[in-house]
Amino acid sequence: METTATTHLPSDYLPILIQFAAALGFVIFAIVVTHLIGPKRHSKVKDAAWECGVESVGNARTPVSYKYFMTAILFVIFDVEVIFLYPWAVNFRGLGMEGFIQMIVFMTMLMLGFYYVIKKGILKWE
Amino acid sequence: MDYILSSLIFIPLLAVLIILCLPKHFTQGIKLVALLATSLQLILSVWLYSAFDASATVQGYQFVQQLNWISLNLQSLGLLQIQYFVGVDGISLSMVLLTGLISVIGIISSWTISKNIKGYFALYLLLVGSVMGCFLALDFFLFYLFFEFMLLPMYFLIGIWGGPRREYAAIKFFIYTLIGSLLILIVMIGLYTSAFDPAATAVRANLAPAGQVVSAEVVAEVQRQVAAGTLTGASIVHTFSIPDMQQAANFIPGSILNILSEKQLWDIPVRYLAFLLLFIGFAIKLPVVPVHTWLPDAHVEAPTPISVLLASLLLKVGGYGLFRIVYPVFPEAAAYYAYFVGLVGVLSIIYGAMCALAMADLKKLIAYSSVSHMGFVLLGLASLTSEGTNGAMYQMFSHGLISAMLFIITGVIYDRSGSRMIDNFRGLAFSMPAFTALVVVAFFASLGLPGFSGFIAELLVLLGAFSSSAVSGMLPRWLAIVATGGLLLGAAYYLWALQRMFFGKHWVHPELKGEPVMTDLTKREYLMLVPLAILVLIFGLFPSLLLNKISPDINYFLQSVLQNR
Amino acid sequence: MNSIILLTSFGILNLFIGFSKSKKIIMPLVLLFLAIVFVVNLTGWNDTQTYFERMLTIDNFAIAFTAVVVLTTILVLPFSQSYIDQQNDSLAEYYSLLLFSLVGAIMMVAYENLLMLFVGIEILSISMYILAGSDKKNLKSNEAGLKYFLMGSFATGILLFGIVLIYGATGTFYISEISSAATAQSNNELTSPLLGMGLLFTLIGISFKVSAAPFHFWTPDVYEGTPTFFMAFMSTVVKAAGFAGFYKLMSVSFAGAQNIWFPTLIAMAVVTLAIGNIGAVAQNSFKRMMAYSSISHAGYLMIALLSFNDRSENAIFFYSLAYSVSTVAALGILKLVADQRDDVSYNAFNGLGRTNPLLAAVMTISMCSLAGIPLTGGFFGKLFIFSAALEQELLWLIIVAILMAAVGFYYYFRVIIAMYMREPSGDRVPVGSVATFALIFMTVLTFVLGIAPGLLSNIL
Repeated sequence: METTATTHLPSDYLPILIQFAAALGFVIFAIVVTHLIGPKRHSKVKDAAWECGVESVGNARTPVSYKYFMTAILFVIFDVEVIFLYPWAVNFRGLGMEGFIQMIVFMTMLMLGFYYVIKKGILKWE
Repeated sequence: MDYILSSLIFIPLLAVLIILCLPKHFTQGIKLVALLATSLQLILSVWLYSAFDASATVQGYQFVQQLNWISLNLQSLGLLQIQYFVGVDGISLSMVLLTGLISVIGIISSWTISKNIKGYFALYLLLVGSVMGCFLALDFFLFYLFFEFMLLPMYFLIGIWGGPRREYAAIKFFIYTLIGSLLILIVMIGLYTSAFDPAATAVRANLAPAGQVVSAEVVAEVQRQVAAGTLTGASIVHTFSIPDMQQAANFIPGSILNILSEKQLWDIPVRYLAFLLLFIGFAIKLPVVPVHTWLPDAHVEAPTPISVLLASLLLKVGGYGLFRIVYPVFPEAAAYYAYFVGLVGVLSIIYGAMCALAMADLKKLIAYSSVSHMGFVLLGLASLTSEGTNGAMYQMFSHGLISAMLFIITGVIYDRSGSRMIDNFRGLAFSMPAFTALVVVAFFASLGLPGFSGFIAELLVLLGAFSSSAVSGMLPRWLAIVATGGLLLGAAYYLWALQRMFFGKHWVHPELKGEPVMTDLTKREYLMLVPLAILVLIFGLFPSLLLNKISPDINYFLQSVLQNR
Repeated sequence: MNSIILLTSFGILNLFIGFSKSKKIIMPLVLLFLAIVFVVNLTGWNDTQTYFERMLTIDNFAIAFTAVVVLTTILVLPFSQSYIDQQNDSLAEYYSLLLFSLVGAIMMVAYENLLMLFVGIEILSISMYILAGSDKKNLKSNEAGLKYFLMGSFATGILLFGIVLIYGATGTFYISEISSAATAQSNNELTSPLLGMGLLFTLIGISFKVSAAPFHFWTPDVYEGTPTFFMAFMSTVVKAAGFAGFYKLMSVSFAGAQNIWFPTLIAMAVVTLAIGNIGAVAQNSFKRMMAYSSISHAGYLMIALLSFNDRSENAIFFYSLAYSVSTVAALGILKLVADQRDDVSYNAFNGLGRTNPLLAAVMTISMCSLAGIPLTGGFFGKLFIFSAALEQELLWLIIVAILMAAVGFYYYFRVIIAMYMREPSGDRVPVGSVATFALIFMTVLTFVLGIAPGLLSNIL
């Protein structure tokens, strides 16, 4: 068993190649076919940039205040951290005291970061 | 007097420290310190010369001082030892004497330097100390260290105190010599990985007690064991010691430069390649056509005293390296390439002389004459005859004296007029009779007139070259015949220059700065030129004065090269 | 490991210290932090510890290189004086980023698992992307930041792809386990294409980080745009850590698979040496010259990598140390001079020998060390590397390297010409006392390495 597990011939990877070809083939097939058989209708509204369903205003390529990005990035960071809380909460009993302390440390770091962000004035909009 | 060689090296370096501590404006003090240091060095070297025992046992390095400096553990490869190892033998003796002498002359010549005196004299003494170190070092690493350390001060001395194109000349000098020294470095690395120190290996392998002189039997035993492969790897002590490298038995079997391992690169034996690399390295310094082009530029831009040092001492380091390292360590390659070396030597002689003939600048003329004269060193060495090698060494010494005179002479003219162009002067003999007399001495000595030291040297070299085909079978006779033509060319350019500049109706180009007054020599200039003239005469009339001291070792050198080829 | 924890906590702590009104206390504190890390790091000597399921190993190798990078950082810091004088708002953040990037550097030298290598490189690089673009109002700095980021992340992607392919070929991320599989496969007729591709991609990724040709194109532009202070850090710490990681990967994992990578690496070393040295000759900007010089030194270090015997790691350690010290000194002086004369070309150094003899002397010595003149550390660095290579009988490679070293003298000495042979182009350059001390320390260290190399040449 060991020997078979460690030696891989190139032919062993054939399924991967087939899958790859199938995936690529489907994509190409879908694009080409929609292009060929789909109806084509043009109107002013249809060709305009789509902006959450609201009527579009001005050019999309205008500078946006960096504060928007900062807020967005911070949102992502803090939002993603919640992912770590969920499995911990589910396994709360299993992880026990050690897990609790680890999470405390983790949250402290997160709060320190939060404090830093506020102190640095990044969330101030004006 | 165990420390005499170290004092020779370190007196100038000590003086550098003193000068650096002196205030900038205390110029007289700085000059005096420099003069004192070099005079002391001269006295010591003269003493060394007289105390050197030429009748001593063959290949005897005398006044040896040997200290461990850097020990590096190379793990599976053993130990690398770099030593502070100095000693003097017949080959280095004349060079040491020359260094002592020329450094004092150079200081006297530097007396008129006015720009940044402190820096100048500090660098000057650093240079002198390094040159001395080069001539005395018996450890290749130490030699290389001093060799590199000559470059830096020289670079600054030309680059800061030089003429209008000094930056170009300085960097050109530097790059050329540096490429040479890097080629030497390659071989040096190869040599230390291949060579070992049998005495230190004996101690390391517990075959001999530490702290005592290791007997010859133990050394032979160690050499036998290493050759047989019983002593290997970690117990071997690698060395940079030149005397150790000179013995084929001190090369580790299978190593890259062991003669028996017969390694090849591009179908050339590695040892031949190593010889060529080293040869090119030293040939650049010597200099040899076609790698000589840095020399005229450096000479033209360098201030007078630096030109003196460059021609008299630095060029000799190249020739000395051939004597000390290249030939004894690679004797079979030396024999194999003898024809090539001789050919290059003759090429330098003829090409240098022809270039000198074409020069309008007196200093360039003399620079090219140096190229021509150093060609004789190569020719003599390549002949591998007793006359030839002795002549080559004698030529190095004699050229050191004569070229110093010649460069001081150009300095004298340049100081007065700001020009060195031959066409700018005529009939100087009328305004400067004493000077002209000394010029005649210098020119005649340089062109090889009997009675001057140059004659003895070139005669010996040519004798060696002529007899080489019969005695050692190294050089064909036509090389010697062509080289003799170099003497004729030498006579031509010197006499022509003499005629153009010193004879005829007195005339100095009127557009030279401030309508120069061509007055005769000052006391300071007499002090430089007269002793040199006397020495050139003495060594021309009594060559045994020097040859008696140096011949035994040179002949031994020749023997060992011829035996091992 | 302690140093990683300490550096991280100090980095965070430092961010809060940055809120204090006075910017003056930050630098002394960071120096103190680094000194503590340096000492704590050394206490682990001869005491090999593994962490995180053997993903990190703190052995002597890691400790030695950690010491190099921490020491380099300590020596770089004093040259940030102008940031303090200008009351730069982001000073604490800059320092913290340096501390964080050191964590990455340590992970790069201590990894046992390719994922750790990747994480280390990322930690180091991301800090560097930010610092390269830290001079926000300067177009060149923006260019540097963006270029470095785009190319760097692309290279990291390739590195990651390589690591994954190696995993595919060997079934493990642990470098010691990769070794047996790689050795077996490389001696087999059926060399797995995955292994070859993986190794090649990994090589590309790391070569990019250490700016080895032909993956060096970013270096001159990025280094030129990066503020000099951070360039001093980038060109030393990243290179030392990168080469230590590179060496570790090659020596542990692929020592048995030399037939795959040896020819590639030789070609790369030659190209790197040639491009680095010849490229530097053409520069008129000292800063750009130093960028090319860092490429050329990568070439020398690659020779050490190629020679591959029991002294290579010592050679790399010694060379990195000597190179880092001299480079920091040179770029530190450039920073001081450029701050006053507003110029990074050779002309900025005109007449420095007259106005600032000390700076000129230190500069001369560090140039000598970079060029490899005896009695300086750089000479022994080169000597060790060449002698290690000679044992592999790579004679022609050494000849190429030495000729390139000769080219090196030309451009290193141009600055010496400017300092001593030209008229001054400005007044005396003010130098802070800490910077003076650092400069003198670096000079002494360069000489110590050059006169008694035995002290440090054999510690690994």
